[in-house]
Amino acid sequence: MSENILTIEKPRLEAINLTKRYRDGVLALDNISFSVQPGEIFVMLGGNGAGKTTTINLFLNFIEPTEGEARIDGIITHKDPLAAKERVSFVSENVMLYGDFTAVQNLDYFSRIGGQSEYTKDDYRDALLRVNLAEEAHHKKLRGFSKGMRQKCGIAIAILKGAPAILLDEPTSGLDPKAGHDFIHLLKSLQKEGKSILMSTHDIFRAKAIADTIAIMNNGRIIMLKKSSELAGCNLEELYMQYMTGHDGQRLAG
Amino acid sequence: MLITLIEKELKAILQSPKFVATFAVCSLLMLLSVFIGIKEFQAQQKQYDVAVSLSEQGIQESTSWRGMSYKAYRKPDPMQIFVSGLTNDIGRWSHISQESSVKLRNSVYSDDPIFSVFRFIDFAFIVQVVLSLFAILFTYDAICGERENGTLKLLFSNAIKRSHYIIAKCVGSWLGLVVPIMIPILLSVLMVIAFGISLEGSDWLKLFGLMSMSIFLFTFFIVLGVFISSLTRRSNISFLFALVIWVTFVLIIPRAGVMAAGQILPVPRVAEIEGQRDAFAKDKWAIFNEKSMARWDSYNQNTSEDSDSSCGSNFVFDENELWEHMQKEDSARKIVEREIEAYETRLQEDLQQRKSGQERLAFSLSRFSPSSAYQLAAMTLAGTDINLKSRNIEVMNNYRTQFNNYVDNKISETNDLSGVFMIEISSDDGVKMNNKRDEQTIDASDMPKYIPAKSSMRQSIDALIIDGGLLGLFIILAFAGAFLRMQKYDVR
Repeated sequence: MSENILTIEKPRLEAINLTKRYRDGVLALDNISFSVQPGEIFVMLGGNGAGKTTTINLFLNFIEPTEGEARIDGIITHKDPLAAKERVSFVSENVMLYGDFTAVQNLDYFSRIGGQSEYTKDDYRDALLRVNLAEEAHHKKLRGFSKGMRQKCGIAIAILKGAPAILLDEPTSGLDPKAGHDFIHLLKSLQKEGKSILMSTHDIFRAKAIADTIAIMNNGRIIMLKKSSELAGCNLEELYMQYMTGHDGQRLAG
Repeated sequence: MLITLIEKELKAILQSPKFVATFAVCSLLMLLSVFIGIKEFQAQQKQYDVAVSLSEQGIQESTSWRGMSYKAYRKPDPMQIFVSGLTNDIGRWSHISQESSVKLRNSVYSDDPIFSVFRFIDFAFIVQVVLSLFAILFTYDAICGERENGTLKLLFSNAIKRSHYIIAKCVGSWLGLVVPIMIPILLSVLMVIAFGISLEGSDWLKLFGLMSMSIFLFTFFIVLGVFISSLTRRSNISFLFALVIWVTFVLIIPRAGVMAAGQILPVPRVAEIEGQRDAFAKDKWAIFNEKSMARWDSYNQNTSEDSDSSCGSNFVFDENELWEHMQKEDSARKIVEREIEAYETRLQEDLQQRKSGQERLAFSLSRFSPSSAYQLAAMTLAGTDINLKSRNIEVMNNYRTQFNNYVDNKISETNDLSGVFMIEISSDDGVKMNNKRDEQTIDASDMPKYIPAKSSMRQSIDALIIDGGLLGLFIILAFAGAFLRMQKYDVR
């Protein structure tokens, strides 16, 4: 597998022999390694319990690794979590935010929490327009927002933080096709700005549409890691099923 | 960063719809309770003024020093507006006279038992029950609620120290709940002024102490709610947990403390004490009677022997002997009476000591609940505590001594025979009766004035130090628990 890892110097996100075993003995992540370069979109593809969210949690230091380390701009996340978190934005599967706050109030709060206190109302307006949230919704309380609208706010918060890396945990699940399409465009524009994006998903088609690198995960292991150029012309769904049923998985993992 | 987090907590509370409703209900209840307290106090004050003037008028209209009595009244304290405590359970007046001992009679609840069924709602009750629940309701999901919403994950994906987060939770919630609740509290105080209730300097200090203790208790429940929310991952479990702890602190421990003290240090009932005293007296009198009979037998034997041996002056000799014997008997009787009285005094002292011990134990056990600590402090500050009765009885007893001395002096000074029937028999005038009842009234203008009991400032300061200190300790413990728990809290 190591020959598949990108070897450009100073990767923005790195997983080095990352392993996580929970107290109950469950091995959630088994010695995975990969790196994400600036301007790269790295997609982790896999079913439930594959270890995608655990990987993201380790990058955010929500849990500590049993072995190995996660690095953001060279900073080991469990050793200096605050410095590492300054360099990363996060969008979860189900962005909830504060229901009694308006979209702008949520943006203002999380921007300041993210260390950006110089933003004006216009900046918030621009960020929300960039994620295609209609202007009339900017000053409405989030309590009445749909999942897609909340997700847009979550992306706007991530943009405003200005971090070089963005972690996305199942960001497109539950989005309608239009919202999903808008979301892909947005990620592409962020990529052009040089952001490194690590995204987990089980949406094979969206993964293929945006990924520079795809890692298929199963039972806490990366069983396939390929650049999108290597997958050109492949039926990703078929490939995915082959790996998941262990057809090619044993060979690659070994 | 910390300021931003605090600001958010503050905003989140003030903007939540449940805050407006709960704040309105609490404010209304608080103002209503103080309003009713003011009206009740004014009625009692009026009743007191009339009763005192009637009692003084009775003294002025007296025609005799003998059998003179005064009615001493317990003065209503303006602090009872805020904390009624035991004021309605304890009698309002007592006879002060040579004949009867001091006994407080006619409590509000004995006169109108309907009020004792559910008792009055006062400011202290609102703080102890309603505000504490209010605090718990706003903080039970402070952390686990954010985890459930997913905002905790988003928040901690930023460079935030967990210590800052927990401090912000406590401080923000405190500012968001305490500062608004200060409005009805201050309005209550203004209402007292507006209704013309005169408060002395010490009353203002006590009121300040009471308000501070109320804020302390409120703070404790706010921090406790945050702590509980850090112990669980689900807000429904946290809510149940918080409710159980609230019931334990507010309803169970105060009562359990008193009940446990009753079992650990039992105090005999009045009937038991009387029974012991009667049994002792019966034994003593039985021994006395036995000895007395023996003495009479010995006396009769001696006198009969003497009468046999001597002649002539028998009658005179017997009378002297008999007088001497009876004096001895009287002395022996008085010794028995003194012994019984001493025994009764010992019993009473023992009872008092046991009661004090039980009381101390009950309050010490109850103080495991911050709610009890607040209740005890509030009652002491308001002077409506457990010592209200003994304090008044002590002052009335002291006054009774002064009063009785004064009346005794007046009787001897004026050689007052009023109230005594005199029957004069004269060979010239025959039989004449005189009871001197229709003579002019006596001048009691120099009679010592009764100054009603008032709780001391020292007791209030002691209560503030002990119970305020305890509440402070409870707050620190709850915060320390929340702080430590947050360091390991799984934000996922």
